Amino acid sequence: MLEMKGIDKRFGAVVALNKASLTVKEGEVMALAGSNGSGKSTMVKVLAGLVAPNAGEILIDGEKKIIHSGTDSTREGIATAFQDLSLIPTMSVKDNILLGCEIVTKSGMVDEKESRRLVQELLDRFHIDCDPDDYVQTLMPSTQSMLEVAKAVFRKPKILLLDEVTASLHYDEIATLFDIMRELKNEGVSMVYVTHRMNEIFEICDSITIMRSSETVTSGPVSDFTLDDIIFYMTGARPKHSEAKTAAAEDQDDREVVVEVKNISVYPKVKDISMKAYKGEIVGIGGLEGQGQPEVIRSILGAVRPQSGSICYMGKDVRFKDPAAGVKAGIGFISGDRSKEAVFDIRTITENIFAGNSAKESLFAYLSAKKVRKFSEDAVKKYNIKIGKLKDPASSLSGGNQQKLVVARWIAMNPNLLLLDDPTKGVDIHSRQEIHDILRECAANGMTVIIAASDTDELLNISDRVYVFYEGKVAAELSGEFKTSEHLVSAMMGVKEKVQEAE
Amino acid sequence: MKESFARFRRKPAFTGCMLFLVVLILNIGIQGWSTCLSNGVSVGNILSFFQPSALKSIFMTNLPFILVTVGQALLLLVGQMDVSIGVQIALVNVICIMVPQEWGVPVWVGWIIAMLAAFGISALCGACCAVLRLPALLASYALTYLVNGINVLIMNVPQGSVPKAYWKPYQSTLFGLIGGKDAPQFLKFLDYIPVPALVLAAVLLIWYFISRRPFGKHIYAVGTSQRNAFAAGISPVKVQMKAFLIKGFFVGVAGICLTLMSASGNPLQCEEYGIKSLSAAIIGGMGWGGWGSISCGVFGGGFLVLIQNTVYYFFTLLSKIFVGFSVTSYWQNFVSDIIIFGGLLMTIVTAKEQRKTLQQGLKAQFRRGEKYAK
Repeated sequence: MLEMKGIDKRFGAVVALNKASLTVKEGEVMALAGSNGSGKSTMVKVLAGLVAPNAGEILIDGEKKIIHSGTDSTREGIATAFQDLSLIPTMSVKDNILLGCEIVTKSGMVDEKESRRLVQELLDRFHIDCDPDDYVQTLMPSTQSMLEVAKAVFRKPKILLLDEVTASLHYDEIATLFDIMRELKNEGVSMVYVTHRMNEIFEICDSITIMRSSETVTSGPVSDFTLDDIIFYMTGARPKHSEAKTAAAEDQDDREVVVEVKNISVYPKVKDISMKAYKGEIVGIGGLEGQGQPEVIRSILGAVRPQSGSICYMGKDVRFKDPAAGVKAGIGFISGDRSKEAVFDIRTITENIFAGNSAKESLFAYLSAKKVRKFSEDAVKKYNIKIGKLKDPASSLSGGNQQKLVVARWIAMNPNLLLLDDPTKGVDIHSRQEIHDILRECAANGMTVIIAASDTDELLNISDRVYVFYEGKVAAELSGEFKTSEHLVSAMMGVKEKVQEAE
Repeated sequence: MKESFARFRRKPAFTGCMLFLVVLILNIGIQGWSTCLSNGVSVGNILSFFQPSALKSIFMTNLPFILVTVGQALLLLVGQMDVSIGVQIALVNVICIMVPQEWGVPVWVGWIIAMLAAFGISALCGACCAVLRLPALLASYALTYLVNGINVLIMNVPQGSVPKAYWKPYQSTLFGLIGGKDAPQFLKFLDYIPVPALVLAAVLLIWYFISRRPFGKHIYAVGTSQRNAFAAGISPVKVQMKAFLIKGFFVGVAGICLTLMSASGNPLQCEEYGIKSLSAAIIGGMGWGGWGSISCGVFGGGFLVLIQNTVYYFFTLLSKIFVGFSVTSYWQNFVSDIIIFGGLLMTIVTAKEQRKTLQQGLKAQFRRGEKYAK
């Protein structure tokens, strides 16, 4: 039915897909699994016409097809429900579902009556409780996700792509979705189902294709795989169940608690998170993408306001009203999203390094050029940042060096608590190592570091203790002998609960 | 009834409509009061706003502006704008006058060429903004100077005239157009309808039919999220170009109306319409891209027009109550500008209010969902 062969996609130097392939038979539900950044979503986007691959071919019913736009994709009978939704929030439910395939009368006008009837029918089928005229932006996230699927199904596709649609659905909605998927299967619709939830794979899927670091690793009928097999192919490590349990070292009680987060929730991702960080400790936050890690980090800093719960910093209950207040209290923040939250592209390296410091001083304080230059020169030398000239713009540096620049900026301010959100995203292995060294040195000097990372090896490597987030809650706290790849991976996949039952 | 009002409250045009109605009532009241003070109290004087001549003149002088605001609203919907829209009507005006005058062709040929010019310049602006993806504000601002230059090249000083046979019907009421002086008494009210109002109605009717086509849905999709529209198989470039061309039609009609109203040509007029139409559309309830409707443009444009009218009568009233009170027209502009600024601030307040109710609703639903899951 559908076959993708040797698909390559590069964004600049980043390889998103490397000779990836997949095959779906008619009337089959195929699971597409893989850990963060393994290229699942890119595969879906290639089929949807949003990403044009650099190489490779797509065959539908044995015929070679070229998909360059959403129109091409629709013409080949492909419909997609996107992870980040493709609904238009300012349009009504009805207009959204019919977008691009409006029902028109002979005179070319939109047939509102017929549209409403069809949409109402569709909403009933999906058990979505809303009016066809409601604006999509007024609906709750799970309803929007259901609508996204309904919109794709309405197009009567031959091939249906579902990219992590269940991430924000409630379980009754998932049950409805699965019923509909079974109906579609009987009608001969092929489906590609991307998910992080292992139990769903076994419940609904016939076959599975697993991707790891941009490549297709294996594929076959789901019945040939066990849960352990799947995790093994996804991560390269086999999970060990028997010993997995939450373990916190007890001798830490006498150490000074720098920050304690108590039962905070941030709508909609974070449900109930509590964690602690001691002085001079590196605390890791792990988990699949989108389990609430960035929200928790930003609520400590004050960039995000939690709906409930409290944050205790240096023995006092605090709620910073903006990041500036957090920085004043001695918190540093390094984001992995360099272009958006950290680096001033077109300003010079000097200015970039000094930016944090200048924010700390009063607005009209006198800054001598010499002082600024000296400061930057020291930082560049100390952290081994490879630059051309200090006056060059920050964008002239490689990703790794840009990140070191940001690290240098903050560490030079000597914060009490340093927060890092996936700081080594897209950073080469060497610079990554150097950043780790810097962080370790700082921790040894008494700085507390909280680091969220999507890379499991990095997380295990750098942190003393790891909190694993799953579905907006802390699934496990790993330290000492429990801080192993196997435990981390199984906690990330939410396997822990099952294991505890077994015990 | 209650429910349909609640639904209307959520519509983007709600603020614009309310502002428009408030200022309309104010205008009727103040204008009536002022007329009563000078001509004595009578039903006709209290409702002097509705006198055929007064109604006609207000529609006639302001129709070009309202049409331009509607065009601007359409561009805002697809996430674009055009601040050169004001000088574009001047261009149409100049061509309407100069083509018949210089080449000796019939007047209507001049009109057709002027319409084509309006489409052409809109297509150029559309190509810059939608195809080349230049920022709309900058591209259309640069275009202002280009079009101004063309205008002056075509006509260096205000001049020209339009044959009476053309402007006379436009500057009259319905009966002046079709001749209905002998109509029975109960149809006399039809004579209150000015011809410019009919032009507005005709243009809006054309828009109504365009908006009921799939294109009418696509503009919202493109304005809100080009990526999502593209994923749904819609070409954002095509939709935006179409919007620019339809705006060209509005500009063409506006320019011809302007020509008929003034019956002469002026290369340097209406430049301020570019920014003014933007603020009018925003007051009417438009957002930047995908939020609003064409009626926002109509209400916003109408609000601005009536404010100026009201302030004029307000000062006339003051001079009648306090004998000897007189100020320059700068004061009138100053007061109306302050009110317009207030109107702009109002839109922020109401938008905030809308967002708040939205968030509350969202949270309530979310909580309910949580409970449901357990």
